[in-house]
Parts: sequence; C-alpha cells; structure tokens
Amino acid sequence: MAQESTEIARGLRRRDPDLLDRLIEQYQHRLLRYLVYLTGRRDLAEDLFQETWIRVLERGHQFNDKYAFSTWLFSVARNLAIDHMRRKQPSSLDGLVDNNMQNNEDRAPFDVPDAAGASAFDLTLQREQGEQITAGMQHLPAEYREALVLRFQEGMSLEEIASVARVPLGTVKSRIYRGLSALEPWLKGAQL
Amino acid sequence: MKHMPNNDAHQQARKLIALSGAEILSANQLSDQQSSNAWLAAHLETCASCRTFAENAADTIHGLRAIPIAAGRGLVSTTQIRVRRRALELQRQRERMWLVAVSCTAVTLCALLSTVAFWLGFAWLGARAQLASSVWQVGFLVFCVMPALVAAILLLAKAKDKDKDNDNDNYKHLAHHTGSYQG
Repeated sequence: MAQESTEIARGLRRRDPDLLDRLIEQYQHRLLRYLVYLTGRRDLAEDLFQETWIRVLERGHQFNDKYAFSTWLFSVARNLAIDHMRRKQPSSLDGLVDNNMQNNEDRAPFDVPDAAGASAFDLTLQREQGEQITAGMQHLPAEYREALVLRFQEGMSLEEIASVARVPLGTVKSRIYRGLSALEPWLKGAQL
Repeated sequence: MKHMPNNDAHQQARKLIALSGAEILSANQLSDQQSSNAWLAAHLETCASCRTFAENAADTIHGLRAIPIAAGRGLVSTTQIRVRRRALELQRQRERMWLVAVSCTAVTLCALLSTVAFWLGFAWLGARAQLASSVWQVGFLVFCVMPALVAAILLLAKAKDKDKDNDNDNYKHLAHHTGSYQG
C-alpha cells in the first residue's frame, strides 16, 4: 500500500491525467456513496463528486504518501461538502438535510436498486430492510451517518475515520455506537 | 469488567458490539480484545436485551453494506472530461506563468544593464560638458523617472475623461427616465 501511495503521490504532483482517470474509476462508487450519505442528496453528491476530483487535481501535491489515498480523498470531499453546506446553511450540517427532506419529500436521496440473483422474497426483504435503514439514515445527524458509512461501508479503521473526520478516536467510537443504536428502531420498522 | 454495575455492563457490551461489528477493535486494543470478547460472550449468554441489540446491530450493518449506491457511467465520464480540461488549463496557466517569469527576469536584467550603461553614459557626457557631478546625476534621475511620470500623467488624464463621459451618460439616462415617467 505504501508503494501504491507513493506512486499516486508522484502522479498527483505531475497532475497526470491518466492516473486521475484511473483513480476516478477506482473510487467512483465509494466516493459517491460517502457523499450521498454525508449530504443526503444525490444531485448535490454528484456535484461534489466532480468538485472533489477537480480539487484532487489542483491540490494533489498536498497528498502525503504516508497515508492511504482514500483517507485523503474522503477528507477533501468532506471539506468541500462542509464548505458547501456552510454557504447554503451556516447553522449546521443537519439543517440542510432536514430542509432538503421537507422540500423533497417525494424524492428518495438514496437509491436502493434491486440486487441481482436473489429470490423474489429475498429481494423484497432486502429492499424493505434497505428502505428502512435508508429512512433511518436520513434522520441521523450527518456526523453519525458519516461515521457509520466510513466504518461499515468503506471498512475504514477507527483511526482512519478519526483522521478523515478530524475528531478524537473516542468521538468516532461514540458516533458509531450512537449511530448504530439510533438506527435500531428503524430496522425493526418502527416510526420515530 | 467483571465487577461493573449492571447499566455500565450493558452499555459496555453494546459499545463493544458496535465497535467490533465490522470485525476489529483498534490496533492498540488488540491485547484487550480477547478478554473483551470473552467477557462479551459471557454477558450475551445471560443478557437477552444485549443479545437482541447484537442481532439488530448485525442486521443493520448487513443492511448498510447491502445498500448499493453506484456512480453512473455519465457522471464518471463527465468528471474525467472536466478533470482533463482543468488539467489542460492548469498546464497552460503554468506555461503562461513560466513565460511571465522569464519575461520578468529578462526585463530586470535589461533594466540593470541599461541603468549601469546610462549611468556611465551620463558620467561621460557630464565630464565632456564639464558639468558638476550633481547636475548630471539629477539629469540621470529625471531621465529615469520621466517615462513613468509621463505614463502616469497620461493614464490619469484618460481616467478623468472617462469619468466625465460616464457622468454625461448618467445625466442623459436620468433625463430620459424622468421624461418617460412624465410621459
């Protein structure tokens, strides 16, 4: 991994477009998923996705190859998302999501496509479960959503999450615990 | 861990379940991991509510992992095109900056060399005309400052003319507006 990071750092310093094409392909789903969960809006997440890669190109020389590229990439995306949300709604990250949900009640920010190769029953069950978790995620504060996504979807270590979110390790642990606890009623199908 | 009050034990158990949900505890907790797991297993055997929490947490984590959010092909290609375009812009910008830097260096060198040459020229002329050194030095100073002074005066005059034209336009516009209201 260290060698890969070094190569990426070298390529980013050169602003190598081929390397960036490869990185965009490689991290497309992970980055978009993170941004969708962080912002709660697919369209905004897609805008930020593009901005993130432009920022990666412009600030590539700042990437330190001692760390994993994904950690730096998520930090860049996170900073852009926070900047955007501060411009739109200076009070908090949650405000935007709440507003968005009021304005777009009929739109599902998280897509839950059908999984291939599963039985109709499994599919329905999985879809229902996905929808319930999705609904629960929308009601969680952004910092909990972020911690859960980075931990359980991206499989990041607690230290990496702390580095992305720029918070102490203890805060990451408590966000994961609280986020998971807050999602529990939604999984049972309860309405908050 | 063995002598924890009941509420603390539940909370501790749930935290351990949440944090180890993915698989691991942090690296510096590795030595504690085995004892923690043993304690957790023992606690789960006796505590139904924590067992339910563990099952729900596992389902939630499984559910989270099962929600696929995929970037569309269009988004990826648009991003790649934008990035390439920006890379080209930055490259051109860098080339322009390089040109500017080279030009600045050349101008500085020329200015230095010409200053020395003119200084020597003025000194030679002063000696030929048998002028006091202060006189040709003032002449040299005026010669150096004059181009910048003339340019500044011309620019100021131009700006003043532009202001005057703008004022005239504003009056005309105002007069036209008043007229239209009256009409």
